[in-house]
Amino acid sequence: MEEGKAHPSEGVFAHLEMLEAQAHEVAVKQAAAEQRKEQLARLEARVQELRQRRDELQAKVELQEQGQHGQGGVVSDPAQHSAQTVLGWKIRKVKSTLQVFYLTGISGKLSKQGVCFCISTAYEGTYLDSYYLDLLTEPQVRIHRHSIPTFIPMEQIAKKYLQTDIRRFLSVLSDHLNAYVGRRYQADQLQEHFSDRLEGTMQRNSLCNLLVFNYNPSSKSETFPFNARLLYGDLCCSLPTEVVISCAPDAPAALTETAAAHSDLFRRLALHKAFGSFGSAGEHVDGAR
Amino acid sequence: MDSSLCQAYKDEIQSLEEEIKLLAEKYEANQQESIFFSEEEILMSINTFQKEFQRQSGGHEFPTDLKAELESLETDLSFLMKFTGIQFTSRCKKTVEKTRNRTVQKHRLLGNCHSLSFELEFQLLEMRTKESVSTVITDLSIIMESGEDSDVSEFVSRTEEHRNLLTFFRSLSSYAEWCEHRRCTFLHFKAKYPDIVALPEGLRGDYIILRNPKVSGFELMIIWKIHLDEEGRTTPVLDLLTKVPEQVLEQHRATVENAPAHFRSLLRLLGVETAIENLIKALALEK
Repeated sequence: MEEGKAHPSEGVFAHLEMLEAQAHEVAVKQAAAEQRKEQLARLEARVQELRQRRDELQAKVELQEQGQHGQGGVVSDPAQHSAQTVLGWKIRKVKSTLQVFYLTGISGKLSKQGVCFCISTAYEGTYLDSYYLDLLTEPQVRIHRHSIPTFIPMEQIAKKYLQTDIRRFLSVLSDHLNAYVGRRYQADQLQEHFSDRLEGTMQRNSLCNLLVFNYNPSSKSETFPFNARLLYGDLCCSLPTEVVISCAPDAPAALTETAAAHSDLFRRLALHKAFGSFGSAGEHVDGAR
Repeated sequence: MDSSLCQAYKDEIQSLEEEIKLLAEKYEANQQESIFFSEEEILMSINTFQKEFQRQSGGHEFPTDLKAELESLETDLSFLMKFTGIQFTSRCKKTVEKTRNRTVQKHRLLGNCHSLSFELEFQLLEMRTKESVSTVITDLSIIMESGEDSDVSEFVSRTEEHRNLLTFFRSLSSYAEWCEHRRCTFLHFKAKYPDIVALPEGLRGDYIILRNPKVSGFELMIIWKIHLDEEGRTTPVLDLLTKVPEQVLEQHRATVENAPAHFRSLLRLLGVETAIENLIKALALEK
């Protein structure tokens, strides 16, 4: 190897190569920068486009909402709309009226051999379960299929009213179902929101017309001096007919007075509301005496 | 710096696309609520559709028969209206809030149940979770035509307080049915015995007077009250009042005094129509 004495052209080549490499690097960098610029420009354009579309839609919707103030609306030009559009509109309208019947408690549709009713239930504005009843009408009215729970005395009610007065039958059945669902809702609400005042989980039967639990009206205490037994004798009612609140036999008089007051309260007020009325501090009750 | 700007744009694009989707849905919903086609246009469209459908049905395998669908839905609706007695004469719906999980709608509903008209305004909250959809009425306002009746107004205010839309409809239905039954019964007897039956307060009143034109001073008043308690339970109560001139009273004191009790037994045993019919016949025979 010849050191130090490089061929002049080799030095030039090396230099040229270096320049080429540099130029290449710069080109690559520039290309990358161009790409990024282009990408940003594309994104920016897309953002502008979407913003414009959004603004247009917003303006359209605002115009719509200013225009409708509870009136019938704009009568449209029939020539503009195809038969299909008009029919589609009418179908949607009828469907939405049918949906309102759901809110009334009795809705349904005709079937080939009868009617399929839907009984909806609610407790004070909260809609709960719906139950289905498929009735056949020929040769006489009878129940084909249903989703009514077994602990609701549907057969008894059917025996009494189904043949003579279907409306009455549905009305009585609806009363039973709504009351059941209302009782269940109260018990669930109590368990969910006031579990710190209950000892463990309350006992209840499937019809939710017998509830037994130990409780303390004030929260965050360790004893549960009261035992409550609520019996809902009227199956169409969501308030108890019989309330027995008991305390330990050696309990002080104040406690027995409170028990009597509570007994009256539970008979008048929904269960979760009665507990709500105890307040956050509650009447501090110390059962361990 | 570039990459963060890039990310910012991408985020904005995504949120704009979501916003556009919600706005487009809102627009469609509002269109549905605001467009109105008259009955003639609908009939015309049905005819046009029928012709097109018949022409095309040869070529397509499963054409959507919109006309049949509409007819089936309308039959269902008219059945429900006849069965429940509830008819909606005007409906207005406005979506106040719509996010992925929550929809709040304001509804205005006018209608009647048999002969009782109502006007409702309520707010409906729909919440969607993975498993279910819950529907809650968050505000309720009710105006009833027979609002002067103290029973009805107490029931209405209690129902509004508890936002109990379902109870409103169920109770209204049963109350209206009884009112209708009373009205029909009064009408029936007035038509059958026009000389004997009088309706001082008309068909909407809660009593009728029976008198024999040949015997003056002797009147029977049948009162038929229909009570609606706060919980929405309807209780019909029928009773009989007698207006008897002194001489007749002296001679038939026992009969006259027992008349209301007898009427109540007749009601229990034979039902309203037969009891009233019997009373009218007995009166007609009086000389």
